Amino acid sequence: MSLTPRLPGPGPGDPLLAKQKHHHRRAFEYISKALKIDEENEGQKELAIELYRKGINELELGIAVQCWGGRGEVWERAQRLHEKMKTNLAMAKDRLQFLESMDSL
Amino acid sequence: QSTTTSVPLNDVDGLMQQVADEAGLELNMELPQGVQAGSIATTQASQEQDELSQRLARLRQAE
Repeated sequence: MSLTPRLPGPGPGDPLLAKQKHHHRRAFEYISKALKIDEENEGQKELAIELYRKGINELELGIAVQCWGGRGEVWERAQRLHEKMKTNLAMAKDRLQFLESMDSL
Repeated sequence: QSTTTSVPLNDVDGLMQQVADEAGLELNMELPQGVQAGSIATTQASQEQDELSQRLARLRQAE
C-alpha cells in the first residue's frame, strides 16, 4: 500500500485554500489602506484604526483556515502564508493598540 | 518578440491592484483559477503579506 497524498497535485479549487486566499486578500486591502493613512500621519487616525480592526478580523479568519490537509507545493505555500499572516496579526494588533492609546490622550 | 511579453508579472499584478484600489474595487475575489493561476496567486499573497510586515515594522520604529 502506498501512501498517496490526499491531493496528488496542486488543487486549483480546494475550498480551504481559496478561503484562506480570500481572507488574505481582504486583510491585505484593509491593512494597506490603514497603513497608507497611518504613514501619511495627517490625522484621520480614527479611520486608520477602523481599517486596522477590519484587517485584523480578516487575518484571524484567514489564520483559522486549516491548511495542513494536503501535501505538495500548493499546501506548503499555504502554510507559509499562514505563518506570515500570524506575524502580521501580531504586528497589526500592536500598531492598533498604539494608535488607540494615542487616540485616548 | 514583443515588449509586452517581457513585462514582469508582478508589475502587471501591482498595476491591476493599483487601478482596482483607485477605483475602490475588490480584485480577483471570485475569479476561477487554474493550477498555474492558483500557484502564482499564493506566491503573490506571500509577497503581499511581506509588504505589510515591512510597512508595519517601519511604523513601529517611528513610534
